[in-house]
Amino acid sequence: MTYSEVIKQDHPEGTMSVKAFKLVSAVEREMLMGDKAHINIECIECCGKNLYIGTNDCFIYHFLLDEKISTAGKVTFAATKQLHKYLGFKKSVTELKAASALTRLLVLCDNTITLVNMMNLEPVPTGARIKGAVTFTLNENPVSGDPFCVEVCIISVKRRTIQMFMVFEDRVQIVKEVFTPEQPYAVAVDGYYLCLALTTQYIILNYNTGISQDLFPYCSDEKRPIVKRIGRQEFLLAGPGGLGMFATVDGISQRAPVHWSENVIGAALCFPYVVALDDEFITVHSMLDQQQKQTLPFKEGHILQDFEGKVIVATNKGVYILVPLPLEKQIQDLLASHRVEEALVLAKGARRNIPKEKFQVMYKRILQQAGFIQFAQLQFLEAKELFRSGQLDVRELISLYPFLLPTSSSFIRSHPPLHEYADLNQLTQGDQEKMTKCKRFLMSYLNEVRSTDVANGYKEDIDTALLKLYAEANHESLLDLLVSENFCLLTDSAAWLEKHKKYFALGLLYHYNGQDAAALQLWVKIVNGDIQDSTRSDLYEYIVDFLTFCSDQDLVWKYSEWALQKNEEVGVQIFTKRPLEEQEKNINPDDIISRLNKYPKSLVKYLEHLVLERRIEKEKYHTHLAVLYLEAIFQLKSVATDNCTETTELLFKLRSLLQKSDLYRIHFILDKIRGTDLHMESAILYGKLEEHEKALHILVHELKDFHAAEEYCIWNSENRGLQYRQRLFHMLLSVYLNTGTSDCALVMAAVDLLNNHAAEFDAALVLQLVPDNWSVQLLCPFLAGAVRQSIHTTRMTQIALGLAQAENLIYKHEKVKQKGTPILLSDKKVCQVCQNPFCKPVFVKYPNGGMVHTHCAANRHLNSNMIHRSSSSSNQT
Amino acid sequence: MKKPDGKVVLLGDMSVGKTSLLHRYMERRFQDTVSTVGGAFYLKQWGPYNISIWDTAGREQFHGLGSMYCRGAAAVILTYDVNSLQSLTELEDRFLALTDTASADCIFAIVGNKVDLTDDCALSPETEDENRPEKSLASCGSIKVRKQVRAEDAIALYKKILKYKMLDEKDVPAAEKMCFETSAKTGYKVDYLFETVFEMVVPIIVRQKAEGSPQTVDITDYKPAKRTKSGCCA
Repeated sequence: MTYSEVIKQDHPEGTMSVKAFKLVSAVEREMLMGDKAHINIECIECCGKNLYIGTNDCFIYHFLLDEKISTAGKVTFAATKQLHKYLGFKKSVTELKAASALTRLLVLCDNTITLVNMMNLEPVPTGARIKGAVTFTLNENPVSGDPFCVEVCIISVKRRTIQMFMVFEDRVQIVKEVFTPEQPYAVAVDGYYLCLALTTQYIILNYNTGISQDLFPYCSDEKRPIVKRIGRQEFLLAGPGGLGMFATVDGISQRAPVHWSENVIGAALCFPYVVALDDEFITVHSMLDQQQKQTLPFKEGHILQDFEGKVIVATNKGVYILVPLPLEKQIQDLLASHRVEEALVLAKGARRNIPKEKFQVMYKRILQQAGFIQFAQLQFLEAKELFRSGQLDVRELISLYPFLLPTSSSFIRSHPPLHEYADLNQLTQGDQEKMTKCKRFLMSYLNEVRSTDVANGYKEDIDTALLKLYAEANHESLLDLLVSENFCLLTDSAAWLEKHKKYFALGLLYHYNGQDAAALQLWVKIVNGDIQDSTRSDLYEYIVDFLTFCSDQDLVWKYSEWALQKNEEVGVQIFTKRPLEEQEKNINPDDIISRLNKYPKSLVKYLEHLVLERRIEKEKYHTHLAVLYLEAIFQLKSVATDNCTETTELLFKLRSLLQKSDLYRIHFILDKIRGTDLHMESAILYGKLEEHEKALHILVHELKDFHAAEEYCIWNSENRGLQYRQRLFHMLLSVYLNTGTSDCALVMAAVDLLNNHAAEFDAALVLQLVPDNWSVQLLCPFLAGAVRQSIHTTRMTQIALGLAQAENLIYKHEKVKQKGTPILLSDKKVCQVCQNPFCKPVFVKYPNGGMVHTHCAANRHLNSNMIHRSSSSSNQT
Repeated sequence: MKKPDGKVVLLGDMSVGKTSLLHRYMERRFQDTVSTVGGAFYLKQWGPYNISIWDTAGREQFHGLGSMYCRGAAAVILTYDVNSLQSLTELEDRFLALTDTASADCIFAIVGNKVDLTDDCALSPETEDENRPEKSLASCGSIKVRKQVRAEDAIALYKKILKYKMLDEKDVPAAEKMCFETSAKTGYKVDYLFETVFEMVVPIIVRQKAEGSPQTVDITDYKPAKRTKSGCCA
């Protein structure tokens, strides 16, 4: 017969099938029967390299099967005939099963199972046999635990009877006989569980407990049942409507059924595939997704069995082997036809069939390949997940995008390639929209991975690529990237930024790489309009800020000039906002001042900074600032007649400085304002010189500002005591009264002063000054206050006097008490210091009553010690 | 393969829309389906649990498989077509008996699908928006009588099921709560159906786990000494 492989389109989506198996001839008919047409193959068994064939003319053939793999990977089998043996009946050999541990072949012929030697096919000498078997099966999950024993289950010729046997090397032993509700037609065993095809249904029967479980109904009259153990506690059954049903020993289905054709003859398992045979085809379904994967035309097949992973199919005349293609090859085929989902399911399913290390390498690669397939279809979410789980070297992805990898990168794409694309242009076929989407994806992907382990070892490549993408796309994150920690390679990135006219960003890159000079040069050019980059509208302020925090003095000097020219008031911030530490350490204020001389506004700001903010106590700065204020005021006054707000503000600042500071050169300033209308200022200056009379004179007569005069008295006497204050107020009163002219306003001012500040005056002195013609009423508040004050003082003094007298009395009392008792000196009285008697009537008596010699008391320190010691010693005795 | 913690089975006559309901819920879309062969299942992650949802074949041919699919089920969703009284009757006549193998504390939901086909106003395009199902229900409430199967019929069936199972109404969720009307085509109340069922299944899973019930057996760590629980009709 001839066979050829046909790939059938059998998926609803119309996808291509997998090539999972290849059909290879193993034993040709000539080797078996030559031209004797009546001889048919009835059954086969394969154990290791041994292939046994049972025929309808009661022969057993033994072949050795040699697998050969050509250099091209093509698998062929060569069968060498070892023996053939006639069993001596006129019946077919219906079943063969090898028990390799016993080197026995179990042969079912004429309802009897005989044991023959696997090598020479001779029956065992004991003649051990099982009689009355319709069919039999071996328990592949034996319960006895004896390695030199196989468990055999037979369907007996007796009605509704199953028997279990233990078969040893040369004897058999019945273990159990169970009866079934209906006649069984097929059986499979796993442990104590029998899976049975009865007349009308499939059941699970535990032969140990006798408990049975219905699976599902099935009509054995119409179709041949199939019961196949596919793994621990799981069976594959032929179900209604051409279904391959899975059932566990608990009677449940854990996998969805596979859909075979209606007339399946046999089924075999080769993970992850279920192979089925019908009149015309061998079909291959995946247990992982239940889909049909492959169809091989095969006519007149009547046996399909798997033996230790080897799937063998036979017609009446020949034996063929279904050689599984390597899983990797299958997966690659699936990937090649972009069937990612199936490829991954297959790969995952293969996990337990492949050594762990090998699997991991393979699986990673598959995930990566799958990722690129999804990527090419712009399924970015899926692609990202696959890249992540496949631990893709990110550069593989970057390298798809032209020019993104730095020229210095040592990256070479993996071989064999993970995908079929040369670059993004090929992948998108020039579609700009797709290209943009791909770039956007790479941006987000690189941004995500750059701070993870994935980036280790090639952070430069990733960051440089990200910079290029951002720059090209005009993405705002470009700046964030450059101002935070990054590994962008300078030369590559600089060229790219320049190309895309991202000069501001380029400056940031230079700065990050310690090239502040280059950065500043670039930015200044932008501000000056020599080059165009509108990234920042406030670039000038940015530069000022940059210089403020720049520790390179040369750069600061170089560019501060430029900054000041642009804007004096903002430019000076370079110096005024500079961190204090930096200011104190590195830059001499005098240098700055000499530089700022050209820029008066800046100079004022800077001096204000020194004097008012930093409170530097140097006469030079204080005087300088005062002079500058003055000059500015004169300047303004010369142009404008009215006092504009600017002048007012300056005057306020000047006054505040003159009042609060004690450091400026008073006479120098006084000279400057002499002859001008800055009366208030002169008054302040006179005040500083303690020439209060002059100052008050100006305030009262020149300015006629009585309130200011009072204020003057108050602030000039601050922290200087009551007397000083009284002196000032008296002075002011004198100025009001001793004018010669009787100016009514001055008189009123004097009255108000007295009435409002009664406490600041010595009433007695005031009364001498007050003109006689003033009424008492006029000065009533003052006088009342003064009298009250005077009385208060009197009383306070009386109290103090009384208290002092009382105290004096107490001391007198003490004195009398001390004098009261006479002290008798005798021989028995001894000095507490030297313990000698007193020889003279002179002694010292301490308040506590202790008496000592005068000379002993002379050294008080020693004395007190002695006293202490003597008292403590007396305590001890 | 992830081991499911609980099982939910969809039962009902052919072409009432079992596959479409499941497809709408899992894949978020409606598409023409072909007649289900044998059965299929999905795994749904629900909180910490994996729930397997079995879609069964409604065709008479596969009827025999139903018992096996239902074995140990924590919930059975009995599905009918609101435009076919026959499909409701079939639930009682043919499908109810299949649930004998389900878990003893199995919950039942009765679902009338294809409400979009009722000749009322209906579930105009706005119902595509699954967030506003209540509104559309209210807007077409009065014309529902034109449907072949009324909601009361489903409730009556639910009570019959309780009687059949010899369950007390007090011990099980209320009939009104367990009878649904859905449209797989528009998505109307599909999420609500499955989520309601899952919420009720979780306590059953917890109980089964606590009891170490062998209804779902982990074939990877089986101990031979363990006995199967006998089926109720064995």
